[in-house]
Amino acid sequence: MLCGVKKKMTANNRSRNRSLLHFIVLPLLFLTVALLGGLRISADHALIFVAPPLVTFVLAVLLMLLFVRGRLLEFNRWVASDRPPLKNISHGWMLLTLFFASAQAFNSVLPERGLLHWLFSFFFLWTLWNNQFSSFNARRLLRSLTVLFGTAFVLKHMLLASLYSPDGGWLKRVAGALLQGVALGTLDAPSFAPATGYISFFTITLYVAGLLLLTFASDDEIDEAVYRNQLAVRESVLDDGASQPSIEESRERTLSD
Amino acid sequence: MKSKVIQVTGLALTIAYAAFIIWIYATEPRTFKDVANSAEVAAGTYQINQEKFAAGHSLFLREQFRAARDEWQRADPAQGDARTQFYIAYSFYREGWGRVYYDQDLFKQGLEAANRAANLASTAPLTIDDPNLNMHTVAELKAELEQGVEQSWSDVNPLKVLRTRK
Repeated sequence: MLCGVKKKMTANNRSRNRSLLHFIVLPLLFLTVALLGGLRISADHALIFVAPPLVTFVLAVLLMLLFVRGRLLEFNRWVASDRPPLKNISHGWMLLTLFFASAQAFNSVLPERGLLHWLFSFFFLWTLWNNQFSSFNARRLLRSLTVLFGTAFVLKHMLLASLYSPDGGWLKRVAGALLQGVALGTLDAPSFAPATGYISFFTITLYVAGLLLLTFASDDEIDEAVYRNQLAVRESVLDDGASQPSIEESRERTLSD
Repeated sequence: MKSKVIQVTGLALTIAYAAFIIWIYATEPRTFKDVANSAEVAAGTYQINQEKFAAGHSLFLREQFRAARDEWQRADPAQGDARTQFYIAYSFYREGWGRVYYDQDLFKQGLEAANRAANLASTAPLTIDDPNLNMHTVAELKAELEQGVEQSWSDVNPLKVLRTRK
């Protein structure tokens, strides 16, 4: 009796925590990524809000497709016709916030203008397009995305920031020594305060954390349905096993025949 | 039931947050103070600094237009007060006005300020009861600035020198 009550309480807590995660934590987290993804701090410490360029939306669409292919997102688990409308709306809203967070995560690690912006965009497109035809599971996809965003972050906020730093970063000095007389005019990029890099790091970390939470987020009803289905399959397999004669029984039957 | 409460709360909270994000990207504030000012304008609680406005007005009457504009910009940092924007536009007009030619740059800036004043006063028409001014509405000031910016054959009319500054 006591055990039953305890089980029920645990189930209630689990259900409440999942609701909090699905309907409050994940959308807030993804919206924060959407807010910070376009935020830059200029050299004179002014806030600059860079709206996501069109290419980031294309990249976000490809990434969403990849989420579906990698089974990080199973649409039928989130939105289905047999679910209450409010739940469908809430889940749809969460997926929308994920889409905008993805676009802004790309915005955060893409150079703002110039040839480098297009080079980075092209490499992102190339990688995501190639990944569409690879076999992925959620864990591998997450690892791959962490590496992708991490590399872009290091290239933009560490290497390029150092190259275009107004007070001459270490890479600028190295590049200056190596490329004497070569103009870097076509690789023009605006220089921002170091705080921009910290904001971007926080944004990307938050985004990856959101994706991790999404991987672990599962719905009670679906879990229960899956569990019931698994149980049914197991029982049917056991029934088949019980009805089928064992090897020794068949041998005995053959010998007696 | 509790799950439904969480769903509704979550939806309301996150939609409000999303609206805030859209608003912040639309207004593009440059400092946290700008964020606060823009929020006050949006909430309708924004008030200009009256002392700075009065200081700007006295400078304007002494024909120190740039100093006057500086004071008014400090009085209305969010550019959310129609009256102040009207005076800023007027100062551009008076500074840019010349008997022989108009300063195009100043007139264009004046036109921008007049447009801001017109947008801010779109619900209730703005009339300035100041005896030191010859134009009392945004429409009059805007028409005068637009005429100054436009190029026409009347610009070569020698009688133009007889015009008076408003």
